[in-house]
Amino acid sequence: MPAGRPRRLAVAALVPLLVLTAACSTGSAAPTDAGQPRSGGSLTWAVETEPITLNPHQYSQAKARLLVWNSFESLLTYDREGRVVPWLATGYQVSPDGLTYTIGLRDGIRFTDGETFDAATVKANLDKLREPEYNPAVSAVQLRNLKTVEVVDPRTVRLVLSTPDVLILDFLASPQGAQVSPKSLREAKNLKAGGVDVAGTGPFVLEAYVPGQELRYRRNPDYATPPPHATHTGPAHLETITYRFLKESAVRVGALTSGQVQLIEGVPATDQPLITGNPALRLTRELNSGSSYGYYLNTSRPPFDDIRVRQAFQEAVDVDAVLQAVYQGTATRAWSVVSPSSRLYDKRLEGGLSGDVARANRLLDEAGWTARDAEGFRTKAGTRLTVRLLQAAPYLRDRRDVLAQAVQAAVKQSTGIDLDVAQVDLGSWNQAFADNEYEVFDNSRADTDAGLSLNLLLHTDGTVNRTKINDARLDDLLEAGQAASDPARRAAIYADIQQRAVRELALFLPLYAPADQIAASVAVGGVTFEPTAGVPAGAYDLWLGK
Amino acid sequence: MSGATLRPVLRRVAAGLLVLWIAATAAYLALLAAPGDIVDSIVGEGPDTPEIRAEIMREWGLDRPALVQYLDYLWRLAGGDLGRSYLLQRPVAEVIGEQVGPTFTLAAAAAALGVLLALLAALTTAGPRRPWLRRGVSTVELVLVSTPAFLIGIVLLSVLSFRFGLFPVSGDQGLAALVLPAVTLALPIAGLLAQVLRDSLDRALEEPFVLTARARGVVERVVLLRHVLRHALLPVVTLAGWQFSLLIGSTIIVEQVFGRPGLGQVVLNAVTSGDMPVVLAVVTLSAAVYVAVNTLADLAYLLVDPRLRRS
Repeated sequence: MPAGRPRRLAVAALVPLLVLTAACSTGSAAPTDAGQPRSGGSLTWAVETEPITLNPHQYSQAKARLLVWNSFESLLTYDREGRVVPWLATGYQVSPDGLTYTIGLRDGIRFTDGETFDAATVKANLDKLREPEYNPAVSAVQLRNLKTVEVVDPRTVRLVLSTPDVLILDFLASPQGAQVSPKSLREAKNLKAGGVDVAGTGPFVLEAYVPGQELRYRRNPDYATPPPHATHTGPAHLETITYRFLKESAVRVGALTSGQVQLIEGVPATDQPLITGNPALRLTRELNSGSSYGYYLNTSRPPFDDIRVRQAFQEAVDVDAVLQAVYQGTATRAWSVVSPSSRLYDKRLEGGLSGDVARANRLLDEAGWTARDAEGFRTKAGTRLTVRLLQAAPYLRDRRDVLAQAVQAAVKQSTGIDLDVAQVDLGSWNQAFADNEYEVFDNSRADTDAGLSLNLLLHTDGTVNRTKINDARLDDLLEAGQAASDPARRAAIYADIQQRAVRELALFLPLYAPADQIAASVAVGGVTFEPTAGVPAGAYDLWLGK
Repeated sequence: MSGATLRPVLRRVAAGLLVLWIAATAAYLALLAAPGDIVDSIVGEGPDTPEIRAEIMREWGLDRPALVQYLDYLWRLAGGDLGRSYLLQRPVAEVIGEQVGPTFTLAAAAAALGVLLALLAALTTAGPRRPWLRRGVSTVELVLVSTPAFLIGIVLLSVLSFRFGLFPVSGDQGLAALVLPAVTLALPIAGLLAQVLRDSLDRALEEPFVLTARARGVVERVVLLRHVLRHALLPVVTLAGWQFSLLIGSTIIVEQVFGRPGLGQVVLNAVTSGDMPVVLAVVTLSAAVYVAVNTLADLAYLLVDPRLRRS
């Protein structure tokens, strides 16, 4: 019953202009009127982002993750508790020195193009990923420590590492680690772009890709390998599912409320009342994994080379007030570099940064920023306390530009810091980093294992170490965390890393934990998020009630 | 065809090629001068190490001198090879080829509708016959000309698609899905053309030949359609040609709003992520369209105005 609510709909156009109080339901499984799961039917899902590639090996957009698992599967996956569990594998053993991973593989699995899945397939996939010019990023980061891949027997494959690296498990559970048919690897017309000729083992087969418009998937009737967190077995419920690309949120919401699509993802705070106020629709949201969103402070140049100024900046913002103003209560506050949904999250940081303006001002006075100019900004020796934040237009989402303006106003008023915000093109953005002409870097990463995010963001040699921090203790901790296979020990190490980065070194102002939203007709059942990743799950468990 | 008529044609073709070359070169230089380098755009948000950068340089031949890259680009362009998209990892010809159809369909539909609406609006309101209607229509035209296509699109969608369900919201699903985007694009064009055409008609109505025609007892409708309109059409033809070339740009926004396939999405992604081969190809293609449309407009002069045929 996708019946629309005409009176509400006309409002959709004006939504960006209206300030509405928001309410929303949280939790992973929403109540529905869809009844018992049933087989058959077709759904259309309007998504925000058109994937730049359909080859899982080349995956780079968290927003495209829900598409990957429709036609591809990995050796491992995450369960609801954030543990790595077998999927196409039967299990894995790690040698005591942490250098050898022996992985057992399930029997009798076929790719949708008829190819058989076995140890040689796994080796072919990993070898392909390490080929030069195929995916330089994966071979340089996730597979950096992978030395050799050995086929022990058709059902067993052995990975030998050069140094202990538990993140290899995260890789094997990631879209880039998904298994592609060896025939596709050899013969696909545009392998890196993917498409209908790149086959996997998933519950759906990609039937058509109309660039700029939609992706159509048809059920794989022979499917037998659902992940452990799935709610049923055998082939998918739905006969077909279509993903339509609608970039504008108001258009997505309108398409949903008028019944032209049954599901949408990406519902901004301003549009959420249209969903929650409509009894025919349900809104669900979940926090993403990885690192939380906030501001990294460049320690390599003034004024943030002085830790007191960094600490002052952390305390100068009443984060709760800012989030309330921008997201009307729909955002979850972050306290750490790590998202609160991660297993590695250090709860002790909560309540730590309290927006203590008096302390912020004291610190700035101590640091010598005592004078004020005509506009009320602090100065030292005639120089204004200006810090620059550059936002790359293509990566802008969640109204982060508006959030930046709110923070800008807050720090100006509370402490007289001049936060200079600019939205720029990608080229200028990269240029600013190359020239070290920035003080603030905003970022969040949607990695399933926050350890991977932190390696990139906080290690001296990290590829996005925009704070330019060079701290031996932090590096030691990050390296220990990457080698630690005991979960408790690993969590303890990452707790220390978070304390070090946020409190002791004051590198990061945490703002909010990125989340994904799904709005769906109540006739749709099985709407869930992918465990750990916290992004919308694939279509395997979805069904259409009568 | 005699040599005398062939020469201007050849001159036009040569001028067209020159425009294409200038457009391609200007786009190339602009992208070269833009901040950040190509490797950055290919790396995007992904990890960035010297090894990754070196590999990308090798893969795309960026380690060669700029002049060599430019000449190589021109040479391949002349041979019809548009290169490969950095972002999409597919041949540019393929990327653009599959998107060109929907965009041209939309642009052509919008242009036809825009011209039709403009003719209708201007012909019914030209001259001093119905001052109240004239004022009303003229105001509407001004509003439409000054409203962003984005807003027109969202309003049309909200009312006609979301509220009354008359048209589908998105996709290239036949004629029904073409209506709203085409109307969205056509309205501002119609507004502008109608303003110009009415002005032009007004002036033509004051010409002596109108008086002569009326004196001969020609009905007012015929005076307008057969005599005045032809006379007033020249500036409109020029403007319409120019507007059609601009349409390709407007489709970017409209395609976004309506989730339609087309060049718009491709261009936007390419520009924001620095996907140089795609940007260059689209600029060259747009220049080609511009040249073609303007040539057609020039030819249309000959149809409209017999005096030009003689000279």
